[in-house]
Amino acid sequence: MAEYRLDCFGEACPVPLLKAQKKLADLKVGDLLIVEVDHSCAIKNVPEWARKEGHNVEIEEIGDGEWEIYIQKTK
Amino acid sequence: METKTTVTQGVPVRAGKKRRNQLPAAIVVLLGIIIVAVILGGKSPGLAISWVIGIGFGVVLQKSRFCFAAAFRDPFLTGSTSLAKAVIIAVAIASLGFGAVQYAAVSGGGNPPGFISPVGLHTAIGAILFGIGMVIAGGCASGTLMRVGEGFTMQWLVLVFFVIGTLWGTHDYAFWKAVFFDRAPQVHLPSALGWPLSFILQFLVLGALYILADKWGNRQRN
Repeated sequence: MAEYRLDCFGEACPVPLLKAQKKLADLKVGDLLIVEVDHSCAIKNVPEWARKEGHNVEIEEIGDGEWEIYIQKTK
Repeated sequence: METKTTVTQGVPVRAGKKRRNQLPAAIVVLLGIIIVAVILGGKSPGLAISWVIGIGFGVVLQKSRFCFAAAFRDPFLTGSTSLAKAVIIAVAIASLGFGAVQYAAVSGGGNPPGFISPVGLHTAIGAILFGIGMVIAGGCASGTLMRVGEGFTMQWLVLVFFVIGTLWGTHDYAFWKAVFFDRAPQVHLPSALGWPLSFILQFLVLGALYILADKWGNRQRN
């Protein structure tokens, strides 16, 4: 199980989502993708997309207005 | 709300950075809002009401993460239509409210209040330009303002050009008005079709769009 970080600080919606989609496609099942974002829109649409795809998702606010989205690829 | 899924064990969830307590700042800002409201109220009650409603809009927009840009973009980009459906519901509720206000005014023998804008090809061209702009800028007008307040610095830059664009548009407004708006028809559906028919038509179209959005959202799930 590998862990990947995706730095999306300063990126506006929908760039974090597009990057996460692209990156997740390269990952193996069971790998963990950590998306770092500071655009509040991304903590809504990235998890929504990932959950819809059936992946495990968690969000952590690591600082004021900075979030990490944990996506574990399940399929 | 969606059910929260847990990431399997062994995932190193990093402990959060020490966050500043924002409560003192919130109290100061709230007091400031109240003081400004009182000052504005002294000049004109309408100003104070606009001030409070404006701030209320901002709070709802920020807390709900409501985003007009995403509502129109996500159905194509990700297949998510939850925000598109929210916008359709908002338009439906607004239609009821505007309808009631206009009906009251027109029944009293007056002209329908509000902006009855001329519709034509320029509407479609403007919508496409605005759509491209808002996807690149990462938000529509209200979303940009909300994120400026949130402290997202990239959108401060957007605000600068937003202001420049608005001023430029206002500067040339007379030209656009003469060339396009004055030649296009102004359609007020209730005046043209009658109130019952336009009411039914409005909600049939909104209902159809909602069902379409719902189907589109579910279709992508497979």
